[in-house]
Amino acid sequence: MTALTLSNIHKSFGKVEVLSDVSLTVEEGEFVVFVGPSGCGKSTLLRVIAGLEDATSGTVEIGGEIVNSTPPAKRGIAMVFQSYALYPHLTVRDNMGLGLKQEKQPKSVIKERVDAAVQMLDLASYADRHPSDLSGGQRQRVAIGRAIVRQPKLFLFDEPLSNLDAALRMNTRIEIAALHRKLSASMIYVTHDQTEAMTLADKIVVLRDGRVEQVGSPMELYNNPANRFVAGFLGAPAMNFLAHGPLPVADGGTLGIRPEHLRLTPEGRLTGTVTHVERLGGDTNLLVRTEANEAITVRLFGQDSTEVGATIALDFDDHAAFRFDLQGQRLR
Amino acid sequence: MRKHENSPRFRWHIVVFLAPAVLVYTAVMIYPLFNTLRLSFFAEVDQQRVFVGLQNFHRLFGDAIWSNQFWNALGNNLWFFLIHMLVQNPIGIALAAILSHSRLRFAAFYRSAIFIPTILSFVIVGFAWKLILSPIWGIAPGMLDAVGLNSLYAPWLGKEEYALTTLSLVSVWQFVGIPMMLIYAALLSIPEEILEAAEVEGITGLSAFWKIKLPLILPSIGIISILTFVANFNAFDLIYAAQGALAGPDFSTDILGTFLYRTFFGFQLQLGDPHMGSAIASAMFLIILLGVCLYLFGIQSRMRRYQF
Ligand SMILES: Nc1ncnc2c1ncn2[C@@H]1O[C@H](COP(=O)(O)OP(=O)(O)O)[C@@H](O)[C@H]1O
Ligand SMILES: [Mg+2]
Repeated sequence: MTALTLSNIHKSFGKVEVLSDVSLTVEEGEFVVFVGPSGCGKSTLLRVIAGLEDATSGTVEIGGEIVNSTPPAKRGIAMVFQSYALYPHLTVRDNMGLGLKQEKQPKSVIKERVDAAVQMLDLASYADRHPSDLSGGQRQRVAIGRAIVRQPKLFLFDEPLSNLDAALRMNTRIEIAALHRKLSASMIYVTHDQTEAMTLADKIVVLRDGRVEQVGSPMELYNNPANRFVAGFLGAPAMNFLAHGPLPVADGGTLGIRPEHLRLTPEGRLTGTVTHVERLGGDTNLLVRTEANEAITVRLFGQDSTEVGATIALDFDDHAAFRFDLQGQRLR
Repeated sequence: MRKHENSPRFRWHIVVFLAPAVLVYTAVMIYPLFNTLRLSFFAEVDQQRVFVGLQNFHRLFGDAIWSNQFWNALGNNLWFFLIHMLVQNPIGIALAAILSHSRLRFAAFYRSAIFIPTILSFVIVGFAWKLILSPIWGIAPGMLDAVGLNSLYAPWLGKEEYALTTLSLVSVWQFVGIPMMLIYAALLSIPEEILEAAEVEGITGLSAFWKIKLPLILPSIGIISILTFVANFNAFDLIYAAQGALAGPDFSTDILGTFLYRTFFGFQLQLGDPHMGSAIASAMFLIILLGVCLYLFGIQSRMRRYQF
C-alpha cells in the first residue's frame, strides 16, 4: 500500500507560488528524502503533508485516505522540527507523553510507550530533565522520541540535523537510518544537504523553485540525472560543466563530467594549470583552470604530489560524460 | 606578575559612568526615602522637633483612634488588591490570548482601544465614572432602565458596602490594558514551532492555552502580580479624585494612600502631622518591601525561566 500520495499540489502565499504541480508517492516503509536548495519549498511541502498549511489545490492522501480537510493530529503523522520545538516547561518524559495524554490514552499505555522510546533512544539518564538541561543532540533525540511514541504511519523530519555539529550530524544520521530499519515505518526527510540525501534515502525527490526536478534512488540520480540542476546538486565535489569541452555539444549546451571521472594522463583531451590543491588524505582535489579558461575540479583517489602551478593533462571515458542542452535538459 | 601590576589600578571610568544615575536616583529616591524614615522617629513638642524613638509607631498601632483607621485602610487595600488580582489580571490574560490569535481581525484596533484608558488621568477617570454612576445625572440608571434591569441599579459609589468594590472595578477598567500588553508580548515570544508541534499532537485551542501557553507565560504573570501589588498599595489618586480625602462614605473606601494623605497634610478639621504621616509612610514602605521580598525569594526563585 502507498503511505502517501500527492496529486498536483499547488501552494501559493498571496501571489507568490511556492509549490507548483507536485505529484509523488511514498510507498509503505520507504525512506524518502526531499532535497533542494534553501527556499525551494521543501518545508512548505512537508507542512502541507502535515496539515499545518492547506494546499491551494491538489490532494493529499495518507494511507489511502484523502486528508485535505483532516486536522494534523488525525492524519497519522508525527513531525520532527528543525528547532526541535520541545515544550520547555516539561521534562523529557512529559514532552513525549503530552500528545498521548491529549489523546486520552490510558496511563499504562503512555508509560509503556514512553519507556520504550526512552530505552530505544538511550535517554534513560535524562528522562527527568528539562530540555534546557540537554545538549543539542539529546534534544534532537527527545524530539524524535516524541514522534515515535505516537506510532505514526508516516514520520516527517524537517532538516533535523542542521543544528548539530559535523561529528554529531554523522552519528545522528546513522541513528536515524537504524531507526528506520527498526521501525520499518514510512519516513519523509527534508534536507538541503546532498550527503544526507544520498546516504539515507531509498528515494530522493529533488526540488527546485517549488517543482519536482527528478525522483529516483540515489544511484539512479547520480548515474542518470535528468538535467543539469540534478547533476550539479548531487555528488561532492559538484560536477564540472564545460562549455568548451573536448566533445561536441549543442549550441549553448554544456558537457558535464564528475570530478571523480577525470584522471591524470601524460597526454589527454583536457589540459590546464593547477590553481589550488586540497589534500584530504584519502582523496586529493585539484582545482584546475583549463586552456579555455574554465574552472574544473579533479578528484584523485589517494594522495597525489601535484603542486599548484603545474600544467597537467586530463582525460575521461566518453560514457561517463553527460551532455546538456541550453535549457539544461540532458541530451542522450 | 602582570595580574599583580594590573589589579590595584582603580577603574575610574566605572565611577564616572555610574555617577549620573546614582546622583539622580539618590536625589529623587534614596534621600527622600531615608528622610521619611528618619522623620517618623520625631514628633513636634512645643513647636520643637524632638526625637521620640518608636513612639509614633506605638501610637499608630496602640492608640485605638489611629489603629482602627490603619487596619481599616489596610483591609480595604487588601480587598482593592484582591479585586485586581481576581478580575484585572485574568481578564488581561484572556484579552491577550484572544488578541494574539492570528485570525482575529482588527486586533490592533481592539488593542489600542483597551489600552487607551491607561493613559488617561485619574482625575478624568474618577470624575467620568462618578458622572456615569450618579443616580441623579448619571447615564447608568438610564441605560439599565432601557434594558429593563432598573432593579439592579444602586448608587454604587454612595453605599458603604459597594463603594470600594465599585472603585476597584473602575481601576480595573482603567488598567486592564497593562497586563494585557505584557501578556500579549509574552505570548508573541513563544516560538511558532512549539505551537505547531503541539498542533500536530492535537493540542490546539483551549488545551494549547492551558497546557503550553499558560505555563510558558507564568514568569510574566508573576511580574504582573508584583507590579499590581506595588501599584495597589501605593494607590491614592483614583480614590481621592472620586471620593475625596475622607474616602467616603464613612471611610469605606479609605486605603493606605488616602489615610497617609489626610494624616500628613491634614484635611478639613484634621491638622496635618508630618511625623505621624511619616510613620504611616514607613509602615506602607515596609508592607510593600515585605510583599516584594516574599515574591522575589518565595516565588520568583522557584520559577523556571524558559529559553526558547
Ligand atoms: N508563511 C509564508 N508566507 C509567505 N511566504 C512563505 C511562507 N512560508 C514560506 N514562504 C516562502 O516560500 C518559499 C519556500 O519556503 P520553504 O518551504 O521554507 O523553503 P525551504 O524549506 O526549502 O528552505 C520561500 O521563498 C519562503 O519565503
Ligand atoms: Mg526549510
